[in-house]
Amino acid sequence: MKISGSHTLQFPPEKAYTLMQDPDVLARAIPGCESLEKTGEDEYRMKMKMALASFSGAFEGKVRITDQTPPQSFRLLVEGTGKIGFMRGNGLLKLAASGAGTEVSYEGDALVGGTMAAVGQRLIDGTARMLIKRFFEKLGEEKAASG
Amino acid sequence: MATTIAKPELLVGKRLRRREDPRLITGTATYVDDIKMPGMLYAVIVRSPHAAASIKSMDVSKAAQHPGVAAVFTGKDTEKVGPVPCGSSLPGLRVPHHYILAPERVYFVGHPVAVVVATDRYVAKDAADLIEIDWDVRGAVADPEKAIADGAPPVHPQWPDNKAFTHHQEGGDVDKAFAEADVIVKQRITSQRLIPTAMETRGVVAEWRAADRQLNLYSSTQIPHLMRSLVAQMLGLEENRLRVVTPEVGGGFGSKLNVYAEEALMGFVAMKLGKPVKWIESRRENFLCTIHGRGHVDYYEVAAKKDGTITGIKLLIIQDLGAYHQLLTPAIPTLSVLMMPGLYKTANIRADIIGAFTNCVPTDAYRGAGRPEATHGIERMVDILAAELKMDPVEIRLKNFIQKEDFPFPTATGLTYDTGDYSLPLKKALGMVGYEKLRAEQAEKRKKGELMGIGISTYGEICAFGPSPATPAGGWESATVKIDPSGKVTVMTGCSPHGQGEETTFAQIAADELGIDIDDILVLHGDTAIVQYGIGTFGSRATAVGGTALYFALQDLKAKIKKFGAFLLESDDATLAGGVVTCNKTGASKTLQEIAGATYRAMKLPANTEPGLIATHFWEPTNFTFPFGAHIVVSDIDRETGGITIRRYIAVDDCGNILNPLIVDGQVHGGVAQGLGQALWEEAVYDESGQLVTGEMTDYVLPRAHMMPWIESDHTTTPTPVNPLGVKGVGEAGTIGCSPAMVNSVVDALSPLGVRHIDMPMTPEKIWRLVQGASSQEPVARMGERL
Amino acid sequence: MIPQTFEYTAPKTLEEALQIIAGGGKPLSGGMSLIPMMKLRLAAPDHLVDLGRLKDLHYIREEGGALHIGATTTHQDVASSALVRGKCPLLAQTAGGVGDPQVRNRGTIGGSVAHADPSADYPAAMQALEAKFVLKGAKSERTVAAADFFLDTFLTALEPGEIVREVIVPVEDGSTGTHYEKVVQKASGFAVVGIAVRISRKAGKIVWARVGVTGLANHAYRATAVEKGLAGTSGGATEVQNAAAVVADGIEANSDLHASAEYRKHLAVVHTIRALLAALARTA
Repeated sequence: MKISGSHTLQFPPEKAYTLMQDPDVLARAIPGCESLEKTGEDEYRMKMKMALASFSGAFEGKVRITDQTPPQSFRLLVEGTGKIGFMRGNGLLKLAASGAGTEVSYEGDALVGGTMAAVGQRLIDGTARMLIKRFFEKLGEEKAASG
Repeated sequence: MATTIAKPELLVGKRLRRREDPRLITGTATYVDDIKMPGMLYAVIVRSPHAAASIKSMDVSKAAQHPGVAAVFTGKDTEKVGPVPCGSSLPGLRVPHHYILAPERVYFVGHPVAVVVATDRYVAKDAADLIEIDWDVRGAVADPEKAIADGAPPVHPQWPDNKAFTHHQEGGDVDKAFAEADVIVKQRITSQRLIPTAMETRGVVAEWRAADRQLNLYSSTQIPHLMRSLVAQMLGLEENRLRVVTPEVGGGFGSKLNVYAEEALMGFVAMKLGKPVKWIESRRENFLCTIHGRGHVDYYEVAAKKDGTITGIKLLIIQDLGAYHQLLTPAIPTLSVLMMPGLYKTANIRADIIGAFTNCVPTDAYRGAGRPEATHGIERMVDILAAELKMDPVEIRLKNFIQKEDFPFPTATGLTYDTGDYSLPLKKALGMVGYEKLRAEQAEKRKKGELMGIGISTYGEICAFGPSPATPAGGWESATVKIDPSGKVTVMTGCSPHGQGEETTFAQIAADELGIDIDDILVLHGDTAIVQYGIGTFGSRATAVGGTALYFALQDLKAKIKKFGAFLLESDDATLAGGVVTCNKTGASKTLQEIAGATYRAMKLPANTEPGLIATHFWEPTNFTFPFGAHIVVSDIDRETGGITIRRYIAVDDCGNILNPLIVDGQVHGGVAQGLGQALWEEAVYDESGQLVTGEMTDYVLPRAHMMPWIESDHTTTPTPVNPLGVKGVGEAGTIGCSPAMVNSVVDALSPLGVRHIDMPMTPEKIWRLVQGASSQEPVARMGERL
Repeated sequence: MIPQTFEYTAPKTLEEALQIIAGGGKPLSGGMSLIPMMKLRLAAPDHLVDLGRLKDLHYIREEGGALHIGATTTHQDVASSALVRGKCPLLAQTAGGVGDPQVRNRGTIGGSVAHADPSADYPAAMQALEAKFVLKGAKSERTVAAADFFLDTFLTALEPGEIVREVIVPVEDGSTGTHYEKVVQKASGFAVVGIAVRISRKAGKIVWARVGVTGLANHAYRATAVEKGLAGTSGGATEVQNAAAVVADGIEANSDLHASAEYRKHLAVVHTIRALLAALARTA
């Protein structure tokens, strides 16, 4: 599944970029993230708990950041596996100044497998969009927290 | 004691209700899941979530220690069992070793890797969730054309080109036909993967009686005897120590014409643990792990003269085999090749098949098995040719039909068509639908921009499988008839019917032949400990082959009844009729009941005659049968939404003599439902990584009652000379005739927009896009038309 | 097809039910969405609280110019109720097209609303009807308008511990015509798009129109631009067409195996026109 879109953050690209490389910030912003633990350079182990309507499940996975070109772009790789299935996402995020804020555009692929892939077809697209939206909303809240 | 009453009225040909239905519709029939045994354990199978991966490590310790778990077995434990058999042999066929549990590598989503056995299925599932597997995920390929292209990930590392086999067949002089053709039409035509969805999923109960050295295997299958032979081999058990029982089978459609890993696996578990074990397939497993049907990409070329005479056909089939060969996987597309000329006289054909491995569940026989694909192809091509030559689709068919006087007709693919008069059902169907009037209506509608289509298919089939040399496992069938001392009759057929109604039709045959009441006849099947060896129910064969075996067994028995009756009457001139033997001189008579009693009491016996009344016949057919027919679909298309409405559905079938018109109609209706399913709704969709995205009923569109049109069905009757009953087979006819008629109808509707072909399923969005593409110069808001 | 172990309680009173739910119990109504998810282990609640046996949640009554429908009233009961058919025909028509007969006989109005499936039928009608939902927790009760209730995919204004207790819909006066137009996803029975329409026309002029849309976006919404386009017009063919053309404007449309975003948006326009015309034909 192809995923693309954009979101505006209320702080400049440098700040936005730094926030998005910060594991503590990512841990707060990634929906359902319970822990994010550094395992290597730009590589983290993640525990997630997803709950969507009656759907719910625990996932364990990895987050990796590559191809960093601060403050313009980086690639985010996320994968998670749980009893109800697995998911893998690979996206390129581009940051561009937009007024006082930053326009973050993203483009990538997402793969969902296992039981949830089989029953959630009509929901995967909408859910992915909702989760991305929540991620950026949470990220936006960082402004208040960290100035 | 009831007496057998002479019955003047013959039952064959009567619209009798099925005798099996009361138990089915009242929920009192016994299916595999209804079997309960003391101490029975339940199995849950752990399956791969990945389409291509290696098992780096598997930790079953938590599962094994889970309370209530009796055992956990992995591929390492079962390596010596099996492999899952492939029953078809093509020259050069590559056959991957098909373990019952994958010990190291998995090749499709759903591939079994472990089994958990516990006191109930909930505990087993809880424990299965505790198994930890570390996967090394590899690249997968789910599309057969991509699989055989350069650089595709190899499904099996030893065969990097992903080609399991290639097959070539040629008849006549194709090159000459194409060189001399006035017109050549070409088209890529797909026949998408379908998921056979029987109401009852598969299921197995295995019971090991160690003291008797006897394994009882209960399985929802179409082929109990073949399963017994093959599972015995897989388990290394003497065949006579294995009993296969087929309780009620809630639908098969070919998907249970197979031997799966789970049958041997449950046998293995039962023998290891010494306790009965049950496994019932979930619907999700059913979608992922039971064979799929179709999966063709076909490239057609047809050569013809200006007058519409077809002179040659070329066909390349790329068959999506999936990751393995199940029982008949590679053989299915070869049936398409045999059927490729359809009802047409063409002497020049060339066919090639490339069998492509993909990271998907194997394909195999599904209602029609190769013939729907072939019929779809040729019937589409004939319409495309007609459009190219601006001929009426009826005219071009009549021009190319094999004529009545040509039978028996040797085809370019090496078959001999038994009998036929192909214009009969077509003309009948045209009359029923009012063809001329509809064409006039269509012309009027086209002037107004309305989209109405009339689609025709004239189809042939290969049925009554079949002469043994032409089938993978023997093509004969068997029947035993025994009459008890009280005169009651038991018929045992080697076929294992599962919805075809043979408990009724076979009783009709026996009642007529013996001249007794149908209620005095019991039809038994599906238990290898009771019934003599048989082949099974598939390929529209049960009545044509199994019914014929029964007919001959009845003849043997009738001869003995007559002989014994005459002996008791001390007559040298006696007749058997209406269940009574009568001396033609004295008029004295003996009823079947009296004769039966005397044969068992055996106070005195005719010379050289054994006591008892039992006869068994194994019948080997000399040929297949070749039924035919015509379907016509009238459809209306909603330009704004792409929605298709079926206005009329006409099905005229010629299956030879009809034993029970009610059952024949039911077979046609069910067949049409599955044909429409393919044409309009169903498709097994795998994504690029090999995940089955139509993995549940919520996304796989099965036809439902309210989605079906009213089917106007009728028949013509051209009995086959191949068997004395004159019956040809009808189980697959509806499916085979349907999809090309439906697609031809919609293509006909869209033809003013320049549309020549549409691949199935014809979803509304697909149709809408075609309309959009064709009329893109028009304003999008054409919806105003309706106002 | 084998759920995990769970505790099950069928409370005798709503208060008892809400106590358990406040403690983390999962409310079960018709179970048409929850039970299949549990069978696949996509959902694994520890404790199910069955509301189905609470008789005092199963009612349809007219009060103060509105219809009050208890949460566990089944779709079939709504569809076949003479009261609903007569006074709020849009709701009856919508209920009659939910899923299949089995679903309609088990599924409930409160369950469907609370679940907020983005392709469910009821939410379109709720938006068009400007329905109100009475939300009840162990210690609270509040009333929320449909417009404020559906927030996102499966996300509603329900707080933890709250259930939908009652649905309140208006009684139509003689001036309104209504219609629900649905494109069915044939496998699941959900709406690919569903358009619920109410129009009040007096003396040949449209006084107001309400258009609820489901299946298209992350949650059911009111197409207010369409409504504005219609108000004051006579509801002629061109006016309807022009007004309906904007039904999907600015919407990030859902896309799946069964319909792309582009096709869904197109269907929304076509079926909005059809729904409006059908509703107009029913106005006086």
